[in-house]
Amino acid sequence: MSDTSPFDHRPDPELGRALEDALSAPDDERFARQVMAAADSVFGAGGSDSWWQELTAWARPGLVAAMLLIAAGAFWIGSQMGQRGNGSGTGALGDPLSAADSEQLGVPVLLAGGEAPSVDAVMAVAFEY
Amino acid sequence: MKDAELAALAQAGDRDAFGELVRRHAAQARRVARAILGDPDEADDAAQDGFLAALRHLGRYDPARPFGPWLLRIVANAASDRQRRRKVRRAEPLSPRMHDAEPGPDTVTDRSSFRQAVLAALERLPERQRIATVLFDVEGYSHKEISEVLGVPIGTVRSDVFHARRTLRTELDAWKDWRESE
Repeated sequence: MSDTSPFDHRPDPELGRALEDALSAPDDERFARQVMAAADSVFGAGGSDSWWQELTAWARPGLVAAMLLIAAGAFWIGSQMGQRGNGSGTGALGDPLSAADSEQLGVPVLLAGGEAPSVDAVMAVAFEY
Repeated sequence: MKDAELAALAQAGDRDAFGELVRRHAAQARRVARAILGDPDEADDAAQDGFLAALRHLGRYDPARPFGPWLLRIVANAASDRQRRRKVRRAEPLSPRMHDAEPGPDTVTDRSSFRQAVLAALERLPERQRIATVLFDVEGYSHKEISEVLGVPIGTVRSDVFHARRTLRTELDAWKDWRESE
């Protein structure tokens, strides 16, 4: 054994035999039977990777995907509002008072009011966007 | 039938396919677990835990890759977990090492004593070196496959195998007739 370099990239058969002899346990068949007896509970429970385990595994990437989708949606809505604002020539947020005068509802109008907007007004804004 | 095919059948609920996988890999799994834990009964429990964990997560096995390293990684993790729990349970210091009480190499020639010396030498190695040299010199795995089992770079595996071999050879060379006894 000592005549083989430790740097050798090939397995050392003598060391391998010594380790194998020391580590090997008798009766692999008996061990396999024990494992299979224990595995029956897993097979009985519906086998491997049941649907809820799959669902759990997908939970984190699903959450990340949902967050990305929300962020993208918010960005798109923001850019749409910016374009509308620029088109009216009253700045990025537009002029809520002039919008009210023209009976055109928008988020700034809802926010500018001193009182909480009605449900109809909120729905109208939502449909508009 | 290939391991990947058996794994697919086992995942679909084929008990016999899983049984065949267990029989094919039982010896390797038990040796790796024993290299980590030392105690043969605990090693068998850990190997069994590994097989059952593998069965539950067969869906995560990539059939394009060899099954053995994937399984042995699970078994090694199961054995390492047991080892950690065992260390936590132990309130008292570890028992004196076997080699302290070993008779000298000149007085012992039987295989049983040599086997104990090999196990004692192995126990003195860091866990990762133990697994690396067992997988390399006993199971015939490549450095790349071992790096997948251990989750470390190939260079680290080479280094682990090198240091493990050097230590084992140094300790076992003291046994003058061990080579002849093989």
